[in-house]
Amino acid sequence: MYRIGFDVGGTFTDFTAINTTDGAATHFKTSSTPHDPSEAIETGLRHFVEERGISPDQFEFVGHGTTVATNMVIERRGVPTGLITTQGARDVLEIGRQTRPHLYDYDITKPEPLVERYMSIEVPERMNADGDVLVPLDEDAVRRAAEEIRDAGMQAVAICFLHAYRDGRHERRAAEIVREVMPEAYVSISSDVLPEFREFERFSTTVINAYVGPRMDRYLERFLQRLQSIGFASAPRTIHSNGGLMSVDTVRAFPVRTCLSGPAAGVVGAAKVAGASGYPNIVTYDVGGTSTDVSLVLEGRPAFTTSRLVADYPVRCPMLDINVIGAGGGSIAALDDAGALKVGPRSAGAFPGPVAYGKGGTEPTTTDANLVLGRLDADTLLSGRMTVDKEAARKAIATQIAAPLGLSVEDAALGILRIAVANMGRAIRAVSTEKGHRLSDFALFAYGGAGPLHAAAVAVETGMKSVLVPAQPGTMCARGILLSDVGFDFVRTGVSTASAEAWPQITAAFAEMYKDGDAWLDGEGIAPEAREMQYVVDARYDGQNHEVQVVLDAIDTTYDAFLKGFRAAHRQEYGYDIADRAVEIVNLRLSVKGASGADPDTTHTPENADPVMGKRQVYFDGGWFETTLYDRAKLPVDQVINGPAILQEMSSTTIVEPGQTVRVDATGTMIIEV
Amino acid sequence: MALDTKKTLSDPIAMEVFTNRLLAVADEIGTSMIRASFSSNIKERKDCSVALFSADGRLIAQASHIPLHLGSLMGSVGAVLDAYSTDRMVEGDVFICNDPYAAGGTHTPDISVVTPVFVDGQVRYFTANIGHHSDVGGTVPGSIHGGATSIFEEGLRLPVMKLCRAGELDEDLLRMISLNSRSSEERWLDIKVQASANERGARLLHEMADSLGADKVDELVEDLFTYTANRLRNRILEMQDGTATFHSKIESDGLGPVEVPIQANVTVKGDRLIVDFEGTGPQARGGLNVVASALNASVYYVVKTLLDPYLLPNSGMFEGIEISAPKGSLLNPIAPAATGARSITCNKVVRALIGAFSQLLPQEKAQAAGQDIVPVMVFAGKRRGRDEGYVYLESIGGGAGARYAGNGMDGVHVHVTNSSNLPIEPLEIEYDLVVDEYALVDDSSGAGQYRGGMGIARQISAPNGGVIFTARSDGHKEGAPGVAGGTSGRPAHLIKNAGTDAEQELDPMVANLTLDKGETIRLETPGGGGYGDPAKRAEAALAHDLRDGRISTARAEALYGPAKVAQAKALY
Repeated sequence: MYRIGFDVGGTFTDFTAINTTDGAATHFKTSSTPHDPSEAIETGLRHFVEERGISPDQFEFVGHGTTVATNMVIERRGVPTGLITTQGARDVLEIGRQTRPHLYDYDITKPEPLVERYMSIEVPERMNADGDVLVPLDEDAVRRAAEEIRDAGMQAVAICFLHAYRDGRHERRAAEIVREVMPEAYVSISSDVLPEFREFERFSTTVINAYVGPRMDRYLERFLQRLQSIGFASAPRTIHSNGGLMSVDTVRAFPVRTCLSGPAAGVVGAAKVAGASGYPNIVTYDVGGTSTDVSLVLEGRPAFTTSRLVADYPVRCPMLDINVIGAGGGSIAALDDAGALKVGPRSAGAFPGPVAYGKGGTEPTTTDANLVLGRLDADTLLSGRMTVDKEAARKAIATQIAAPLGLSVEDAALGILRIAVANMGRAIRAVSTEKGHRLSDFALFAYGGAGPLHAAAVAVETGMKSVLVPAQPGTMCARGILLSDVGFDFVRTGVSTASAEAWPQITAAFAEMYKDGDAWLDGEGIAPEAREMQYVVDARYDGQNHEVQVVLDAIDTTYDAFLKGFRAAHRQEYGYDIADRAVEIVNLRLSVKGASGADPDTTHTPENADPVMGKRQVYFDGGWFETTLYDRAKLPVDQVINGPAILQEMSSTTIVEPGQTVRVDATGTMIIEV
Repeated sequence: MALDTKKTLSDPIAMEVFTNRLLAVADEIGTSMIRASFSSNIKERKDCSVALFSADGRLIAQASHIPLHLGSLMGSVGAVLDAYSTDRMVEGDVFICNDPYAAGGTHTPDISVVTPVFVDGQVRYFTANIGHHSDVGGTVPGSIHGGATSIFEEGLRLPVMKLCRAGELDEDLLRMISLNSRSSEERWLDIKVQASANERGARLLHEMADSLGADKVDELVEDLFTYTANRLRNRILEMQDGTATFHSKIESDGLGPVEVPIQANVTVKGDRLIVDFEGTGPQARGGLNVVASALNASVYYVVKTLLDPYLLPNSGMFEGIEISAPKGSLLNPIAPAATGARSITCNKVVRALIGAFSQLLPQEKAQAAGQDIVPVMVFAGKRRGRDEGYVYLESIGGGAGARYAGNGMDGVHVHVTNSSNLPIEPLEIEYDLVVDEYALVDDSSGAGQYRGGMGIARQISAPNGGVIFTARSDGHKEGAPGVAGGTSGRPAHLIKNAGTDAEQELDPMVANLTLDKGETIRLETPGGGGYGDPAKRAEAALAHDLRDGRISTARAEALYGPAKVAQAKALY
């Protein structure tokens, strides 16, 4: 049997297939097809089954990561969407948190809401914070609003009422009316999408869900048809932002939950692969052409957050805490008029690209610096599919950077890399030391095409002792999908003062949520023994407006145990607790999981051949060094190689600096000691 | 200053790497302080800043979440150095102060904590932070009150004092400060958090000095100052030489409708920038006075926003700007004038400064006036379903001014502040209040080629009465002026029982007004001024606003002319 995972990226769609009989993994890629991302999927899958003569019914698992929803928001290609809301709340999306996005730069403005203001229509209805009806729902007004929205040509409707997290009755009734008026429309209600208080974030999340819903639906339809046309029988799963897998039906209902789909899979995969090598604490470091994603994994568990911005719009749902900065191979190096050398955030991107690519780029990038220093070379870059003009890169750095600073070309190029590394180091500190972790306790886990190129230097800059580079670092996201479990999160808001007397109500609420979770797992086809439930209470001290998460041991945890857990969580998070202050319970969260992921492949068999590919001169701090080039796939397990060294493989180049060592462990992961 | 004194950098690459580390250190201290703090004011609204200083009191780096704190810790560190020379400090000492007159503060709720950092037995750096405490005593909850006639009504005054002596926390002092606040426990917790944030900063500075060497750090700091100064100097050189003057005013001095004029005079001579406020009216009788730290921050804000938004705030920037205001004026008051409500005045200072700077800058930098106040609503009453009381304070955003590059933003905080709102749902969970409306004010934008931002209407009712309401606001008489032919935005309004027979417009400085069962308060904040001739407004943009109801047909016809409105309407 086979398991296959694929991740649809902007440039390539990456695939990883595992033969479950012998554990052999195959990685391959096709060019992405942005007009219909499922086309590239079909091309890749057909190629794989036809080339190998595998029958499509041999696939017991098909999983995919997709940024279709995110791209729709970024490129504003969702459908025209209307909003029906409570009287007095029409401008919730316009006002947001009434802050401007940058303190000083007025060129950076708030994004225009995805619903145009004339399509944000108020209806009389109102509940208070207890869910009591202050103003009954005016059903005629809802009908008129729906007609207006229909007549304006909208294809999706979000229904967002104040305090609907407490009681969704009005929203559900309004949705019925809207469906009568607009049977074809995609309808999202906030009490379904995110039954959690704080209206701006809930409305925004619900509107995005509606905005991307119809096109996501069509994409999934095409995707399923293509799988069927090849002959795949197993129901595909999609990875969502918290690193769990879900069925196509769940994705249809909650497309907003896929906003971090691909990157989340990479982090989940990284956590498992690093764990197999004995490194439970890692910082993931994924470098592409224009951006770098970093995140923290502590004791094998990725760090989570409950909200982030997608194209400047808040999205609230449980997701992996991934910090994205604009630094990558295309980052431009330039001197400013006061004599400082800056690298990024401007990027040459794929076009015009680095100077050396000869596609019109005139300003040197980090890729140009890597070429000039011999870290990358023309033959291996993009497998020789592109002509690389190293002399042009050298000239650009010489005239634009080295001459004005009075440096040699090499030292100028090295300076560019040092600054790029410092920028990345700052992003890593933001997810680690700023949250109270010591980086010396972590290893850097590098992947993405350009991650392994700078990883050793980044580790030195940030005080980490080891770097891990997985096999095929360019396909980590696709691999991660194969290592993920089915999972989903449920939330309920009900603010109350915690007390022993009221505690049974909390337990009762969890029992109801358990039923929802169980029903969802039924729908996902997860066997009872593979199910796992986690109960989390968001709580705070009376008078605070900021919650900490308390993980309960079990559904029948006692009140005293909760209180003890709260104090411990507060101490852990903020450094202190207060013995006798009242505690408020704010949200109840249930996280359900169904084990379905495979364990990472832990047997690595090197090809039995000489790993040395040759030697070349590479510039490091201190001058030119004769550096040995190795074919990574041929390195014997646990043979220690002294730096400087360059390790080549299809999707990536790893640099080991002088004084560092590297070895490949039994699982196939490369470990650099810096 | 002639150009030949311009220094060059000793190591630009090392400086850039160092700057990244420095900012990471400042960010880490700031984040840890926000995370650990207890009060919503610091934790949620991020009304705090942290900074690193050299031993001689120069600002090396700052993580600032509101512009009003720009450089304001220099006042506190300066006061510490005046009170105690470094040879009288020992390792483990921590200083605390807040006083605007005696200790370089800006108003009493902003408490600064300053910690000397020792390397090899010598003071090598300071770490410092400032936090806005929700109450430090005084006559009104929150300690700020437009009608305060002296600083003695604004709560506790702290000169420079030792909070810790050689590592020993002075619990007596901390107890005394806490006891003087209406929310003692919050003060106790947050001040301790401030001290430990500095401790963390000290540890990080130690690590940096250990890895790079303290002398190398000094060299890189000098590079950073030189670089920042050179970069600012380049921007000033691009300005036109000469002196430009612009006026604004506050409509109330806090005690009544007594206007106080503000005059900003900006002089550029080559690479020198001189800002004085000669011509500004006398100090206010109420709490709207601005002391040096707050005035400087307002000037630094304008320099950053107009000349170089990404210029790093350090002494290299600040030392290149000369600032003065006449003694005894609104902007240089004599003790014990009250200073609590200074943020309204600071935003009006910014309005005058932008008007003056713009005359010496290219047209692309032009920007109309925005709401240019920090309007505040304060409600006090019972928590929902409980007997305990609450004091709920919120500042409301408004329209930003239109710019050469486009419309002003709708419903945002402008200039010296940028605090986030308390959303409707948590508000109603917590307090016995109902938000009837939180919306943009239609027809509030100034017209022009680009329109001003829209103001915000926030209407809150007291369903069960027993609520005491206090406001401080401005801009209720005159709207925010447009620029380059743009028209003014709509002024602010404060209305009791809007839309009923008992509707009543209130004084913007109304205090201690009782709301009975079902009564409402509605604040409509000002719209921003427009930029450029309304005749040049794109029909499509006007059509968009008409369709969205941002502007009514009647007002559009009055401002843009019926012909243009007809053309716009034909587009949809």
